[in-house]
Amino acid sequence: MMQIIFERTGGIMGRKVSVSLDLDEMPSDQSTTLRRLVDESDLFTLDEEPIKTSRPDEFIYTITITTKTIQQTVRASDTSLPESLRPLLNELLTHTG
Amino acid sequence: MSHRHSILCILPPYMLEQIAQRGTSGQRQTAARSIAASQQIRNKRRGLSLATFRGALHARMAATTLKQRAVYSANFSTQLPGTLLRGEGDDPVSDPAVNEAYNGCGDTYDVFSTAFGRNSIDNNGLKLISTVHYDKGYDNAFWDGEQMIYGDGDEDRPSTERLFNRFTVSLDIIGHELTHGVTQYEANLDYNNQSGALNEAISDIFGSLVKQYKLGQTAAEANWIIGDGLFTANVKGVGIRSLKAPGTAYNDFVLGSDPQPAHMRDYVTTIEDNGGVHINSGIVNHAFYIMAAELGGFAWQKAGMIWYTALTEKLTSGSNFQNAANLTYEAAAQIFGANSLEQKAVKNGWSQVGISITGIGSEEPTPTPIPDPIPVPPVSVPEQGQGCMTVLMRAFGLRK
Repeated sequence: MMQIIFERTGGIMGRKVSVSLDLDEMPSDQSTTLRRLVDESDLFTLDEEPIKTSRPDEFIYTITITTKTIQQTVRASDTSLPESLRPLLNELLTHTG
Repeated sequence: MSHRHSILCILPPYMLEQIAQRGTSGQRQTAARSIAASQQIRNKRRGLSLATFRGALHARMAATTLKQRAVYSANFSTQLPGTLLRGEGDDPVSDPAVNEAYNGCGDTYDVFSTAFGRNSIDNNGLKLISTVHYDKGYDNAFWDGEQMIYGDGDEDRPSTERLFNRFTVSLDIIGHELTHGVTQYEANLDYNNQSGALNEAISDIFGSLVKQYKLGQTAAEANWIIGDGLFTANVKGVGIRSLKAPGTAYNDFVLGSDPQPAHMRDYVTTIEDNGGVHINSGIVNHAFYIMAAELGGFAWQKAGMIWYTALTEKLTSGSNFQNAANLTYEAAAQIFGANSLEQKAVKNGWSQVGISITGIGSEEPTPTPIPDPIPVPPVSVPEQGQGCMTVLMRAFGLRK
């Protein structure tokens, strides 16, 4: 079981976009892609909040992943984003409204 | 905290002009402000337009300052600054985003230089660096502490689904981002809650003034929209914010509706967006608009000068809305005089968004004589044939 809650706030417009995904309920090709990107992101080894202060108008991203055994939240911004997270973020953005 | 410069105030305009052209950056800024205040008195006597005098002065000031610009492309990656495509003085290139960033930086530099005597973001000639084509589908622009960064909107979507154009298309957004740099070097307002919303409002205010200056618009003629031209035709909206009517800039099926309040009774308490910095800025934006509309004319000349003085001399990193109200009120007295029309307009602007001026100087006018906005002397404007020495001697009571 894996659930992902993704949220992007900030930006010059200050508009929030978000999505909540249950990978068990998704088409298998999409869930397979997301599981791979989660693995490649090293998300479970990252600090919860690598950013301490935001730069004006940059986006702030929050990802919370819940499995049967662990829950991990990472909050990062454009200027503090670990490169390993970027492919996962870009994929999650395609699922937001 | 008052920064009167009495020596500059007693100097005749032609000497102030010299300082404004040839002095250090700090001297130029002070001279520009002194000229604005002293010219106001002269205008009352002569019935002339403030803009007439300042236009000639500022044209000369602009000619003596040097701007340095560099525009890079990230080529749809996130690597900064990217590939240099246009440096200072280079001819336009075929990429409109590059030219827009280059010209927008120049326009913003010119406003800060000519209207406020400021030499670039740091007031010390800092090179203005921009990167365009940042990331794929990046619907944003931001200031990273060292440079401006612009996405191309949702260029990766089919045209029928696109919501945003490239972010350099809007001059007020370029002015907005550069002003974040100015704020960083001045009040350095904390980027959260009310101080963060103040930070955002200052960028909207000066971003709008840059556009108004470029278009030669008065406060009455300006549309006071941030994000002019940013939305595609698929969006029901005129921009991302309105200083004139916060909360009305857009109302779209996909984007939702503009959430900005225009009054403290509608202040939004939230932890999102660093405490709603892009939401509650609407309250401050509207206070500025009301003041500027009441004063009329070109908004950068009086309303802008008051806020620039507050930003550079009075606001501090933790300032909140109430502090901003009190300090802009104080700045108006410093430049235009206690109980001046300008100071009353500041008070009215804040009052209409639900904030009353508090502290010293907040009382209503008393029957006592209204002090001259210029500290000394009572007669500071030399008429034809009078030299600086005559003015100085009169100032010190040595000559009638």
